[in-house]
Amino acid sequence: MSVSRDEVLRIAQLAELDVDDDALPEIAEQMSRILDYVAQLSAIPTNGTVKTFVPGPDAMRFRPDEVAPSPLMFGPAQFAPAFKEGFFVVPKLGQFE
Amino acid sequence: MSDARAVADRLIKAKRLNALLTPAKDLRKSLLAQAEAARTTGVLYGMPVAVKDNICTLEFTTTCGSKILEGYQSPYEATAITKLKAAGALIAGKTNCDEFAMGSSTEHSAYGRVIHPLDKARVPGGSSGGSAALVAAGAVPAALGSDTGGSVRQPAAFCGVVGMKPTYGRVSRYGLVAFGSSLDQIGVLGRSVHDAARVLSVISGRDARDSTCEDRDPLRLPTVPESLQGFVIGLPKEYFPAELDPAVKRACDRAIRMMKELGAAVREVSLPHTPYAVPTYYVIAPAEASSNLARYDGVRYGPRFDGHQDLHALYRTTRGQGFGPEVRRRILVGTYVLSAGYYDAYYRRAQQMRALIAQDFRNAFDRGVDLLFTPTVPAPAFKAGEKLSDPIAMYMSDIFTVTANLAGLPAMSLPIGRVKGLPIGGQLIGQAFLEDEMIEAAYALERVVPATDEA
Repeated sequence: MSVSRDEVLRIAQLAELDVDDDALPEIAEQMSRILDYVAQLSAIPTNGTVKTFVPGPDAMRFRPDEVAPSPLMFGPAQFAPAFKEGFFVVPKLGQFE
Repeated sequence: MSDARAVADRLIKAKRLNALLTPAKDLRKSLLAQAEAARTTGVLYGMPVAVKDNICTLEFTTTCGSKILEGYQSPYEATAITKLKAAGALIAGKTNCDEFAMGSSTEHSAYGRVIHPLDKARVPGGSSGGSAALVAAGAVPAALGSDTGGSVRQPAAFCGVVGMKPTYGRVSRYGLVAFGSSLDQIGVLGRSVHDAARVLSVISGRDARDSTCEDRDPLRLPTVPESLQGFVIGLPKEYFPAELDPAVKRACDRAIRMMKELGAAVREVSLPHTPYAVPTYYVIAPAEASSNLARYDGVRYGPRFDGHQDLHALYRTTRGQGFGPEVRRRILVGTYVLSAGYYDAYYRRAQQMRALIAQDFRNAFDRGVDLLFTPTVPAPAFKAGEKLSDPIAMYMSDIFTVTANLAGLPAMSLPIGRVKGLPIGGQLIGQAFLEDEMIEAAYALERVVPATDEA
């Protein structure tokens, strides 16, 4: 299969990722090769009954519901790009449609 | 104090490798302060441990080898770091790595490639290439890395050091910057089995801050055994294909002969779904990465890139300019395989295949095999630039290591010989939470195998 230029742009939009026009052909080509390569998975019969596997504890462990001090040594004002009066500052959302 | 100065000097001397991201001045200052505060009764008292730059520290910035976290100072530290400090270890700076641990050569770092300590034209492996290079160069006895598909074991093999990846859930992931959350584990690189094992023992154990960390006591270290009597070592035939590098094959054969001489029973086994491991991994890991890396948007932390007139433009510009090519590629592939219409064909299929791969291992262990022995990588360290334009060739470097991550099993690489001066690694894969058996066998093998001799 081959991923088209428009498909790359659609996926890039879903991923909130700018892709340069110049880089598009190479990205489309590499994505196509990677997806062709992983497509071999669809050739093997897993007959739909195989349960998926996730490592780690079988059951979710819950912590006691207690208020604890914040583990952060300093607050967001010191690591956010823009922070004011307790809020992260961002540009406006753009035009509402 | 003089020790802390010597540690800093050794690390700064290794500068030509581009393995350390911490500036010399910051390193000296912090090491002196840490040495003064270190717990003298700790089991790692005074031991310098360098830390891969995707593990959060309060002493140094955490950039993950990415421009999108350039200068980022974490407001908290990883549980593994807290445990190291409580044991008296010194956090000896942050090591260069592939951006967000995505790569097998440490060429995908925004801060330049890491040089192989034995051959400057070659790569040290990746993604924990900086950690491996510093240990191999003798700058530190041990370093932390992270292993999502082989990122501790593959660079350990390339650089001729020991690399251990614990069972999934053995070490807390709290403070390890997430890449593939169901695959990631913090691991250790060490100049010997014992150095790696004692660091692993310290960082292991329960942690209320990571619900995927098992409620278990820290790993207890085994003693060095006299023999391997009673051990059954399985050799999975799929890991010894005809096209395996002849020198790697010779080194493995020699190590296998030595394990037999030590009294181990050796038996061929089959893990039939091995050929599907790399495609399975390259669906699951990018899928998880595309979700985990959604948080880098220029709003909450890290730099914000210019050229944004509204919120979506801010996200896209920051992410487009902040991420390097391999990370962008994986985010796009991950988004694709999770998108409507493709989820069943790719992601669900990969999850099912993952279950079959894990079952292969259970079948082998159920038949009385204690440990598996394989080559760590099909060939020794490759030349810089050789695989950069071919992502699939790069991915194939992980062919023998990804399976342990998919199945959540402990695995380690140790040096078993050289070819034309370049190290070769042998891999031991153990049963879940039986790291002690794996380490015991590694102790025995390490004592007899001529790790620096030509194979």
